[in-house]
Amino acid sequence: MIDFGFTLSKSSTVDLNKVDRSRYDQLVKLVPTARMCMNCGSCGATCTVSEYKGMSVRKVLTGIQRGEDVRPMLSSCMLCGKCTMVCPRGINTRNLVLTLCKIYD
Amino acid sequence: MIDRIPSGFHPFVIPFLIGMAFVLLYCFGAMIRVLYELSWQDRKKFFLSLLNPKILLKDIKDIFLNCLIHVPLWKRNKLFGYMHSSIAFGWFMIILLGHIEVLLFVPGRINLFYYPIFFNYFVAEDDVTLRGSLLFFLMDFFLLMIMSGIALAMARRVKNYMFGVKRMARPTFLNVVGLYSLWAIFPLRWLAESFTAHISGGSFLTIPANWLFRQFLGNELYMLPTWWAYSIALCVFMCVLPFTRYMHIPAEMLLIPMRNAGLKVRSSRKGFARVEFFSCPNCGVCIDACPMTVDNGNVKDCTVYLTRQLRRGNEERIQEISDKCLLCGKCEALCQVGVEGPGLRILERARRDYTVPFNYPAADKSVDKNHKVLYFAGCMTHLTPSIGRNITELLRKANIDFTWLDQQGGLCCGRPMFTAGRIAEAKAIVANMEKLILESGCDTLLVSCPICYKMFREQYNLPGVEIVNYIPFINNLINTGRIKVEKSDICYVYHDPCELGRGCGMYDEPRKLLGRSAGIAEAQQNREESICCGGSLGSLSLDFAQRENMTKAALDNLYTSNADAIATACPLCQATFARYADRPVKDIAEIVNQQVI
Amino acid sequence: MKENVVIIGGGVAGLEAAKNLHRLGYQTFLVEKNKKLGGHVATWHKLFPDMASTKAIIKEMVEDIKDVTVFLDTQVKTIESAHGGYQIAFSNGVNVHAKAVLVASGFELFEAAKKEEYGYGIYDHVITNADLEAWMNGNKDKRIPASPKAIGFVHCVGSRDLKAGNSQCSKVCCMTAIKQAIEMKERFPNAEVYCFYMDLRLFGKKYEDFYINAQRDFGIHFVRGRVSEVSETIDGHLQVKAEDTLIGRPLKVQLDMLVLMAGMVANNQIKPIVEQAKLEIDSDGFLKSSDNITHIIESGRDGIFYAGACTGTKTVPETVAEARAAALAIHDYISGL
Repeated sequence: MIDFGFTLSKSSTVDLNKVDRSRYDQLVKLVPTARMCMNCGSCGATCTVSEYKGMSVRKVLTGIQRGEDVRPMLSSCMLCGKCTMVCPRGINTRNLVLTLCKIYD
Repeated sequence: MIDRIPSGFHPFVIPFLIGMAFVLLYCFGAMIRVLYELSWQDRKKFFLSLLNPKILLKDIKDIFLNCLIHVPLWKRNKLFGYMHSSIAFGWFMIILLGHIEVLLFVPGRINLFYYPIFFNYFVAEDDVTLRGSLLFFLMDFFLLMIMSGIALAMARRVKNYMFGVKRMARPTFLNVVGLYSLWAIFPLRWLAESFTAHISGGSFLTIPANWLFRQFLGNELYMLPTWWAYSIALCVFMCVLPFTRYMHIPAEMLLIPMRNAGLKVRSSRKGFARVEFFSCPNCGVCIDACPMTVDNGNVKDCTVYLTRQLRRGNEERIQEISDKCLLCGKCEALCQVGVEGPGLRILERARRDYTVPFNYPAADKSVDKNHKVLYFAGCMTHLTPSIGRNITELLRKANIDFTWLDQQGGLCCGRPMFTAGRIAEAKAIVANMEKLILESGCDTLLVSCPICYKMFREQYNLPGVEIVNYIPFINNLINTGRIKVEKSDICYVYHDPCELGRGCGMYDEPRKLLGRSAGIAEAQQNREESICCGGSLGSLSLDFAQRENMTKAALDNLYTSNADAIATACPLCQATFARYADRPVKDIAEIVNQQVI
Repeated sequence: MKENVVIIGGGVAGLEAAKNLHRLGYQTFLVEKNKKLGGHVATWHKLFPDMASTKAIIKEMVEDIKDVTVFLDTQVKTIESAHGGYQIAFSNGVNVHAKAVLVASGFELFEAAKKEEYGYGIYDHVITNADLEAWMNGNKDKRIPASPKAIGFVHCVGSRDLKAGNSQCSKVCCMTAIKQAIEMKERFPNAEVYCFYMDLRLFGKKYEDFYINAQRDFGIHFVRGRVSEVSETIDGHLQVKAEDTLIGRPLKVQLDMLVLMAGMVANNQIKPIVEQAKLEIDSDGFLKSSDNITHIIESGRDGIFYAGACTGTKTVPETVAEARAAALAIHDYISGL
């Protein structure tokens, strides 16, 4: 390869026409309340581990709809249930995390 | 009393023999399988327990009291208890007396084990003796007792509420066959013995019947068919028994010695667990006990259906049932045979495969060192800050040298992970917490959340550190005069949180503490019968909206006390009740703190 | 004088409708459960977007109804359908047969203590929007520090919250928060002011201008994230936790005071009237209108009309317009049009 002194960056645009949402589709079938997120951020704010691992159910949900790998966040969840308590939309966040931990391949 | 049939045999005993052989072989095989499935330590423990006279005596006593007399059922409802013990104890006495009759009158036949069952057919009364009359009287007496029990069982199908049980599990086809054959056995025996009573003799039940039948039935035409029918009914019952709820009869006789030996469920499917789910008599007590069955919802997710599906191996339903449960433990507390509904479910959850591993987010937390008391509020308490605030104020008023373990949150005790069935993952959390606590140099770990408290008690190893719940701790502060409280005239009803009451057996301490600072009223269902608030983290699949009715039903129960306000000792109960309650919901710590003088 | 009309509730809706019905010649009875007229608005300091003094507004409205029969500190005891109208008994012993009834019972402010995680009633420096207005009206409040250096506003307290039993947006709180943030910044120019919001819903005339002012002229910080919990640090500061959802990281800030924007929720005190008059409650807990487009002031029951926030969250101008519309609708109804 010839060194031009610069590299070509890959596009960081999320292409909604191409993004794979199958995991999200599978999730909302098993955990229907997952559809109700309004991205308020309460879950990430209250999360017992967010301070260290950046865990946020909101980010997990948005992430899997935009094709991001959310496994590092999922693997840090202690299932303490605070996010379930504060979610203003009543999303079953613990079931959501456990279900995703099962269906990720 | 003399032998009437020289050969001592008649073909009508064959169905009975087939049934008996089948059920004995099946139960023996099942027992071998269970013993094989146990770990070798457990197996050793079990066999050793049978050699220990103290435990053996307890086994016999427990089997007698539970399987024959049904003491727990009597405690629940007298009619319900009588119905069961009349049949079980009566049947046992009939078999026992049958053997005594054979031994006394025709001792040569004792090796024919159908003889005691069909004794009246094979003998003729040559002489009336006091002994014989007494035995015949007892036989008729116990037969009447059994039949009264069966009459009640029939009545129960129509008027269930008389028995203190509102709902029953839907019977399967084989259960119905078993039920009807069981109901048929005793009236048929009575008929058979009645038709034979002029030959073999009888007592107050059989002799008048014999006289009555002779008036219009005349001859002995009906004698043999009724003995055949009696034998066939026994055969049918014993042949279906292993596939019906009646399997609880032999299973419980194994369950009791295993439990007395100190065995624990280690898998949800094998060994001790198998004995446990075969011991479920399908009585339906757990359906009424279950907080999820409010308005007849989720009935098929109760423990009675868990045991049924575990027997069937219906994976989809097993998963659904185990994930839904709130793990409140009321079914276990009220279960007549002690089926561990929550424990089996946690083990069932532990069977799931996760493709995303848990990666413990070890937090760089440090604790203020060398305070005597370390206070752990827990995750949930950070959402109900009044609890932590009131407790720390009380500690300051009592001049206790303390520090927070988790003032800014960020630490979980591991119980939610544990109840989700991720046991190894929970242990990773526990190990980190143990290190943090031991490094702090404290001698007392003060815990205000009962969920955490149960976890600390059961899963933590903290040498030199006393784990104490805040309720007895504050009681002790008052006992030793470090704080003084006066009584307010507000009347509270105390809600027993699942994890503190049934989970840790603490019922009196909270009432004592509350009673020192306010008036107390009791709800209709309290203590071990307290109803889960519906907010439990135990359930994985119940959504927020599905829990509303459960919370409202639990509140309705508390309202029966007519108290001015609700007191509890769990942040989750407090937050859950506060959503729907029509009166204030307070933690005991807050009530006490307001009354300090 | 023409027929009797009873108005339940003496807030801006009731006052405006009473004025118009009286002018149309009806014998109007205005019943208010409190000792003063003006409802929630009277407790406020200034109204957006004109920053008009509520004192002046309420004073003018009350003057306009000086010939109307007003029962203060009075409630409706019973209401029953009778002779083509309603027989109403008041708690002051008066009985009235009214041809038409206007329900203008308004809303209740969400009880902020119910969101225990925000620490209202637990921590020393947590107040509500109503407390702040009362303070600006001159009431003393020791929860407000003499010179706060950092002030937070939490939007949507009890609104858009299924857990609190209210799915609806309270509509005016975003704008109220910005108004109050500006007012605080004017009083304490050195303070940092933070608004924690989920979505900024600034739909009304000149609302966006307020937003621009808050950003450009007052340097108010807007954080997109719902506050999850509030704790207290050892030195007595409030520590607020939220997620900055725009950068996707948890965020914390120490504040000297926190204002909770308690939202409008359905007024449960009118439940007895609702039951007796067989009115319908909508899924959001507010009174159910015949429809929510062209018949919002109609109850579906002959002779009973609605105005203002009893049917849902409303701004003051909306409420005043509805009150006038309801007066005209009652006039049409009684005239048999």
